[in-house]
Amino acid sequence: MSDALTGVWETLASQAPFFSELLWEHLQISATAILIALVVGGVVGILISEFQRAARPTLGVINFLYTIPSISMLGFLIPFSGVGDATAVIALTVYALLPMAKSMHTGLANVDPAILEAARGMGGTRMQVLARIKLPLAAPVVMSGVRSMVTMTIALAGIASFIGAGGLGVAIYRGITTNNAAMTMAGSLLIALLALVADFLLGLVERGVVRHRRRTRGGLVAAVASCVVALAFAGYGLLAPATGKDTIRIATKPMTEQYILGDMLKLLIEQDTGLKVEMTQGVGGGTSNIEPAMEKGDYDLYPEYTGTGWNLVLGNDGTYSEGQFDTLRQEYADRLNMRWVGMYGFNDTYGIAVRSDVAERYGLRSYSDLAAVSGRLTFGAEYDFFERKDGYQALCDAYGLGFATTMDLDIGLKYQALSEGRIDAAVVFTTDGQLVSPGVTVLEDNRHFFPSYRCGTVVRQEALDAHPELVAVLERLDGAITDEDMARMNHEVESDGKDPETVAEEFLRGRGLLSSGGGQP
Amino acid sequence: MTAAIEYRDVSKSYGDKSVIEHLDLAVDRGAFVTVVGSSGCGKTTILKMVNGLVAPTSGAVLVDGEDIREKDQVELRRNIGYAIQGSILFSHMTVERNISYVPSLLNRGNRERTRAAVTRWMRIVGLPEELRDRYPDELSGGQQQRVGIARALAASPDILLMDEPFGAVDEITRGQLQTELRRIHDETGITVMFVTHDVSEALRLGTMVLAMEGGKVQQYAPPEELLRDPATDFVRRLVERERRRCSLPDDLLGRCEHSGAGSVGGDASSDLETIA
Repeated sequence: MSDALTGVWETLASQAPFFSELLWEHLQISATAILIALVVGGVVGILISEFQRAARPTLGVINFLYTIPSISMLGFLIPFSGVGDATAVIALTVYALLPMAKSMHTGLANVDPAILEAARGMGGTRMQVLARIKLPLAAPVVMSGVRSMVTMTIALAGIASFIGAGGLGVAIYRGITTNNAAMTMAGSLLIALLALVADFLLGLVERGVVRHRRRTRGGLVAAVASCVVALAFAGYGLLAPATGKDTIRIATKPMTEQYILGDMLKLLIEQDTGLKVEMTQGVGGGTSNIEPAMEKGDYDLYPEYTGTGWNLVLGNDGTYSEGQFDTLRQEYADRLNMRWVGMYGFNDTYGIAVRSDVAERYGLRSYSDLAAVSGRLTFGAEYDFFERKDGYQALCDAYGLGFATTMDLDIGLKYQALSEGRIDAAVVFTTDGQLVSPGVTVLEDNRHFFPSYRCGTVVRQEALDAHPELVAVLERLDGAITDEDMARMNHEVESDGKDPETVAEEFLRGRGLLSSGGGQP
Repeated sequence: MTAAIEYRDVSKSYGDKSVIEHLDLAVDRGAFVTVVGSSGCGKTTILKMVNGLVAPTSGAVLVDGEDIREKDQVELRRNIGYAIQGSILFSHMTVERNISYVPSLLNRGNRERTRAAVTRWMRIVGLPEELRDRYPDELSGGQQQRVGIARALAASPDILLMDEPFGAVDEITRGQLQTELRRIHDETGITVMFVTHDVSEALRLGTMVLAMEGGKVQQYAPPEELLRDPATDFVRRLVERERRRCSLPDDLLGRCEHSGAGSVGGDASSDLETIA
């Protein structure tokens, strides 16, 4: 335990700027959602208390929204608001609405009707009774609702990174993806701390509201006002346009090698051009979410794999082979107005790995061997694989595989699940750093089922038109990285605990692609 | 002179249940009317008809000779003092803000004037100045009731409606409050309608007593007349105990210090002269 804590502390200390930026982003995203929910939820709560007939249907709708799992909610929203902060804020706001509206409604409904009749009977108008009597008397109930809403929102904002928004979820997700437990814990710990601090501050405000003593009233108003100002300030930073014309926005998928590649691209672009780079690392869902965002212009470039582009993006049938690369490029240009610039050289294709003891017990060498015993085995893969055309079903059809059970796993958790025996076989990538581990045997694709997945940079043509100098920069990575290079770098991050940035920088420096002072001005 | 409050053939029913039946009543300006009857007899209902909190099913309620349906309800209410059952205060407001609730709604005058009015009313209802910034939960029951009275009177209304305002205090405090209220009435000449279920309180305070039962008026008369000459069996039963407090013959009950009628102030005794 103390080892883990030391690890967390070291991670935090060594990457303080990284974490403080995430913390600030986290605060901005949650603050914006909280502020909107306070106003909208509060107003809805007031309206349904004033017009009781609307209460049941309204609360029913909000209740329904509340029961949608957060992952699905984000999925629903992406087609409308894309990936990024806006979607995160909308999703968080939707969840925060219920506790806010409900506590406002409950608070107002529980005010003694005799008091209200007195207030009305003495000549208060509806608004006066509401503002002077109802709301102040409902305040304690509303405040406790606000507290739980705020804590919940801060915690839930951890999922924002899944759709490419910032925040501490980035650290958690990156930790999971790159097998860095300390990073995950540090991110979680900071979220918990943030929620606790927010709850504590609101507790002070609440005590002021409940005790309603005159001498604290001035202080209370000041506290509430400063909270609102701070929230608004935090929210403004988020909504204000953050990117100028001279900013290149890079996205990466939630995979270790993509983090490294993203950092390489950033280092090179910033060294060779005057452009600023804004990076969104580890967008959840990978291609499924990055590609639509590219089409909308939210991102300018990202590392992609040819086979993925062929099947998932272009929607072509059949197994992609590198002989079709020219067709791929042409279709990208014609249909998406995007270009492939700079193929890194390595081919990160699929492979099937089984636990070594399983391989020994059944004498497994190839996929065909596996087919004979698959009915007794559990198979794990990331959700992408079960969905894609060249994925699980096609694999099973090609080899006559039929696993006893299948399990959806995040890419970063597969080897752990393998070694723990929760799964027996998994889809892996040929550049996985953990392939060096002795506990895992990679089987032979004896019928050449899996397509080729060479990796390269996909760029929006508009970005290239605006910044033609990018082409030369991106081409510097052409053929620069072999399968072995990539697997080794992945291993350095996932098993040796190095930062993706450091690994990227060391590699570029080793190849003479980065001048001595470059990358860290 | 038009009556301060007038009910013209007022009936009220909730669904099939009739609460008030054909009420015809005129309350003179400056009268102190106590409304007495068992619970559910409709006494609170007729009180709330005056400030429009309850609308009659048929008939009309007039204030200063004008049908209240023709008046702006908010305006009407601001000119009528209202003290609810138990004089419940706004718990989130100080004594000062409670008392200045109606003046602050009117937005009339400045802070100084409001402060001065609060000071005056606190003195009139017998509240020490140092309670001004206290919250209701820091006051005794009696003090709370006094704040309730001051709150009802703060905008200097012509009519004061009180619905069992002294329900929740001990006997001694209650006696003090009753005395204060009569004094205020005598000093200001305000028209008061005071609902109570306590017959002795009704007889002690009212210049006129309205006895009600089953939504109907049983008797509307000065207290001594109720004691001397109950109009119905209900009224007789109602005042029976008060009558027995005194051994004088019926026609002299009004002179007795112990009977409810005897403790009434000046104007009642002038009535007694004519009786004698």
